[in-house]
Formats: sequence, C-alpha cells, structure tokens
Amino acid sequence: MHSDVMSELETSQAPQEAIGRLSDPLELLAEMGRDFAASQNINRALNCGLICIVDYLDAEAGSVFLLDDTGTTLRCDACVGPVDISGITLSVDQGIVGRCVRTNVGEIVRDVAADPSFNRTVDQKTGFTTHSILSAPMSVKEQRIGAIQLLNKRSGDRRFATSDLALLELLSTSAALALLNARMATALVEQERLRRELELAAEIQRSLLPEGQDAGFPVHGINHPARAVSGDFYDFFALPDGRVCFCVGDVSGKGINAALLMSKTAGLYRYLGKAVDSPGRLLGILNGEICETATRGMFITMVCGILDPPNNRVILANAGHEPPLRHRPDGSFELWPADAPPLGIAPDLVPGGIYPETELRLDGGTLYVFTDGLTEARVPSLGDLTIQGVRDLISANQALPAPERLAAIVGFVERDSIELHDDLTILAIDVTGNSMQPEYQALEEVHGGTQMVGIRFEAKPEELKQVRAVVRDAAAGLGFDEETIQDCVLAVDEACQNIIRHAYVGGGGEIDLKIRRDGNSAVFLLRDFADTIDRQSIKPRDLDDLRPGGLGTHFMREMMDEVVYLSPPEGRGNLLKMVKIIK
Amino acid sequence: MKHQVSERDNAVIVALEGEVDLATSPEARKVLLDAVDRKHPVMVDMSGVTYIDSSGVASLVESLQKARRTGVDLALVSVSNSALRVLRLARLDRVFSIYDSVDDGIARSG
Repeated sequence: MHSDVMSELETSQAPQEAIGRLSDPLELLAEMGRDFAASQNINRALNCGLICIVDYLDAEAGSVFLLDDTGTTLRCDACVGPVDISGITLSVDQGIVGRCVRTNVGEIVRDVAADPSFNRTVDQKTGFTTHSILSAPMSVKEQRIGAIQLLNKRSGDRRFATSDLALLELLSTSAALALLNARMATALVEQERLRRELELAAEIQRSLLPEGQDAGFPVHGINHPARAVSGDFYDFFALPDGRVCFCVGDVSGKGINAALLMSKTAGLYRYLGKAVDSPGRLLGILNGEICETATRGMFITMVCGILDPPNNRVILANAGHEPPLRHRPDGSFELWPADAPPLGIAPDLVPGGIYPETELRLDGGTLYVFTDGLTEARVPSLGDLTIQGVRDLISANQALPAPERLAAIVGFVERDSIELHDDLTILAIDVTGNSMQPEYQALEEVHGGTQMVGIRFEAKPEELKQVRAVVRDAAAGLGFDEETIQDCVLAVDEACQNIIRHAYVGGGGEIDLKIRRDGNSAVFLLRDFADTIDRQSIKPRDLDDLRPGGLGTHFMREMMDEVVYLSPPEGRGNLLKMVKIIK
Repeated sequence: MKHQVSERDNAVIVALEGEVDLATSPEARKVLLDAVDRKHPVMVDMSGVTYIDSSGVASLVESLQKARRTGVDLALVSVSNSALRVLRLARLDRVFSIYDSVDDGIARSG
C-alpha cells in the first residue's frame, strides 16, 4: 500500500516536474537524433545517446539491448556504468529486458529480487548489484528492435518514477526510429557498394569478351546479360595461320556464381583454344578442367568451332548446347544439333575424352550460334521466341551487315520481350558477309541496296550449274520476266567463265558473287582473287571474225545495262559490276 | 549434259541434251568434231538443250569451221527459243543452217 501511495504521489507530481524539464528532454531528443544522423557508427551513436539518458534520468547504469536478425537473441550493444556488459547476449525469453521486448511494454521493476524473471547471472558475473530496473522497448510500429534498460536510480528514494518511465519510453522510441533510419542508410550504402562492385564485375566480364571487329572479320557476337553479370559468353580469335576459332557458352543458372564459372571457362577457352586446334578435343579438355573443381551442380553448354576462311569450312563440336543454325544463301535453314552432354557433369561421358566433330561448308551462308536466352525470350503475342522466331528475325535482317544484323535481332528481343529472363548471346559466322575484304565492303556501301545473294565458290566449271540456279532464283525474286532471267543467268555465267579461263587461267581460286537490289537496279558483283588483269585486253569480240570463244564479254554487254570493271580491291583480284535495270 | 549419236539417211545425227556449259562443252566439242570427221552431213539435234553458253556456242562454231574446211554440211535442228536467242545474240543465227526438225533438215539439205 505504501508504495502505491508513493507511486500516485509521483504520478501526480509528474506533469509539474515535466513542465520544468520539458525543454531538456526535447533537447536530448534533438541531440540524439543529430548524433544518429551524423554518425557512421550506429553503436557509438547509441552509446552517446545512452550516456545522455542515464545522466538525465540519474541512473547508476544503463544498457541498450538489440535483437539480432533472427529475432531470438538480445545483445548488449551499448552500455554505461561501473561494469561493461557490452557484447553479452541473452535469449529473448530471458530476463526483464527480454520480457520488455516480447511484450513491447515498458515497466518499472522496483525490486528485482521479487521478480522471478530477473536474471541474476549478469550480476553474479560482474559483481554489480541491481536493485531496480526501468525498461522501455525500442520499436517502430510493430517492428521490434530491442530495449533500453536503466538500473538503480541514484537520487531521491532511489526508485524510478512513473515520469521516468514515460520519458524513457519517449526517448527509446525516438532512439529506435533513429536506429532504424541509420540501419536503412547503412543498408543503402551497402546496396550501393554491392551495386558498384557488380558494375565493376560486369565491366571485367565484358572485357573478357572479344573486342568488336570491323565488318571485315568473319565472326561477330553480342552478349546481353539479364542481370548485371552474365552466365553466357562468347569468344573468337584468329590463329596465326588465318583460321578463326570461336565459341559460345552458357553456364546453367544466373547471377554471380554463374558469372564466376563463366569467367573461368572463358579464361580456359582463351588459353587452350590457341593451343588445341580441334574443337572436339578442346571441349574434352575443358570438360576435364571444369569437372576437377566443384561447381555445385552447375554445368556449361558450349559450342566450339574453327573456321577456315579460304575454303569456308567450319569444324564444330557441341557440348549439349542449343543447335547452331545455318542460314543458306537460298534462304533455307539447317540446324546442327548437339550429340554430346554439357561440360562439367562428369569427366568420362565422352569416349576418349573427345567430343564429336562435324564439318560443314558455309558456301555463302551464315552460321549462327546462340544461347537459349534468345530462343526462350518471351515476346508478347508469340510466347517464347522459339527457333522459328529466330529464323524469321534472321531472314528479316538478312540484308544488314553482320554486326548490325545481330544488333537488330537482339534489339527486337530487348524491345519486345516482356522481360529478358536469361542472358542472351548470339554469334554470327559469316564468311561472305562482305567480310574478308574491307575495301570490297566499302565499295558495296557506295552502291547500297539490299543484298539478295552472297556466295563464294571455287572457280571451277562444275560449280557453274549451281551458281546459275542461285542467280536464276535471285533474278526471279527480283521480278524479272523469263527472258530477262535467262539474260542475267547467262551474263553471270559468262563473267564466271572469264574469271575461270582468263583470270585464274585454269588454276585454282575462288569467286565471290553478290547480287544486290538497289532501287530499280539489280547489281551483280563478281570478285576474284587472281592477278589483276589488263582491262584493255577485255573487249567484245569482232563478230565478223568467226573465231571460237571470246563471246562471253559480248554476251555480258548485250544482256546487261551496264558492265564495268571497278578498281580492284587492294592487293590483287578483279571486281566486275553488272547492272540490269528492273523495269 | 548427255549426247546420242545416230545415223539416218546418210546423215549423222548428234542429239545434245541438258546444259551445254563450261563444264560440259568439251564433251560436246569432241562429239561434234568426231561427227564431222565421219564425212557425212551432220545434224545437231538441239531439242533437248536447256541451256547453252558461250563455250557451248564456241563448240558449235568450231565444228562448223572444221565442217566447212572439210566440205561437210553441218546444220542445227530443233533449236529451242532460249538457245536461239543466244545464237541470235552472237549473230550466229545466220551463219548456221537451222532447221525445224531432223526430217526437215534431211529434206532440205538432201
């Protein structure tokens, strides 16, 4: 009863007292807020705040207990008083402070000896004697952060008053708010730091990809990560003998772990690819290396290839990867499916450790190697893009040079897909793609227009039958009538014969044929790589002279609206341009 | 390209079939020159020729030259429109004797 009376008395006195001190707690609050805002170190700010509170409420000691991430353990993060208990932990089920956090209610315990929750172990360890406790929860809305506890009031009757509790609750609430803000700020800083680190990682990763090549190089690629970093990669480089190695890989999964494995594999490829000139053997060695280190169930699908530009031959090996797609000059497509498992699953899945190789000739076509991020890109109205969608995109952009073509394909997916849910990589291997001779390319750019045909073939009579078929199809596609189609076929045939007979003089060589539509003109470009021949020697034959041969040039001039030999590209070779007006 | 050589009414009939181009014209040339060597009138049946280029035309011209030198008649028969265009383009349509059919050729040259 006595204590109740005292308590009432104190309560009734509180407002009066509070009025006199009101400016002080406000100052205290303001100062604590400033500390929290300014401090980089939350614990130090907590400590400063606690010193102020302990001093203001005239307690012997004080401590701030904060809940850990799991919400089960309280840890003393700040402490003021004769003994330092900072760092001690107790379960949230324990002690008066635990009760305060659990119930989210502040309280005055005037005699700890009478409270069964009181945890004596701390006193026993430190030699401090706790008589009374004032505790207030630190929480913001329903989010519990911890509690502030003050021990043993020093002044007056050495008991905490109800007004003390009210003030501590006010202070603890604002401390909780400040703490939460500080934590969020720290999290933001951390997030920003991670973001910057990811950016750096992405930059390093991009640097692992080969640098963009000029249009003359036969291989071009684009990698587009779904997140900052990519599990996809591609690489290509020329060997000293002129052959070109290329690869596309896709690490299962996304994010940092995939990106790290990607970086490792890309590094291995770069290093080994220059020494091992068999794609099948290279994949076998890569598989062994990747299997040697634990990859947490991750694996890699990969296509490796070597292109031999003079004869357009490509040797391919495929470890479980999306089938490469070959686009033929006639517009048709062909898939080259994988017949071996991905890398990193087991070292002995492939007989002899050599992945099967296939050989194909590009013959004017383009080989596309890409990851499933392309075929599985979700496009509204289509669902997944699928291989058919990829074909359509390739066909639609066929006229563009390889780098622009790839950009257009990826651009479509980026623009139209709901979200890029996987990394996306596409590589184009394009021997005729205006590629091997930049000078030739420049010349063509002058002419502009849309390329209908781009083939390269051996300068042999046996090849001409097929060349005629290609020209016939292209001419028909340009809308010429049957007679004009025949004219075009004959003119190109004759031009090829001239090259075979007069430029290569029966020796081996290659012929590059491009057919472009430029406005209302069909442009036929024929290039050879023989010694440049004297233009003066090429003239229509005298028709009154009944001499066999020498007719070809006459035919070409008769059939075409324009026949002109352009300045040969640098080095050697001859370049013939023939134009037929589309009426 | 395929070819077939037969005799009829004292004439050697050489039927060419398919594409006479740079790859096949050497064969056409040999067949035609051999036919001229037989010292009988030669009819070149062109009804099966789907394509002929300058090298094919050259084989014809060379055979005609040899025929003229050795006093042998050489005529083209059943020339398709596309082949005729090529001959016209070379302005050879008036150099060669051209008949509508083997029968027609034999009747007129006989």
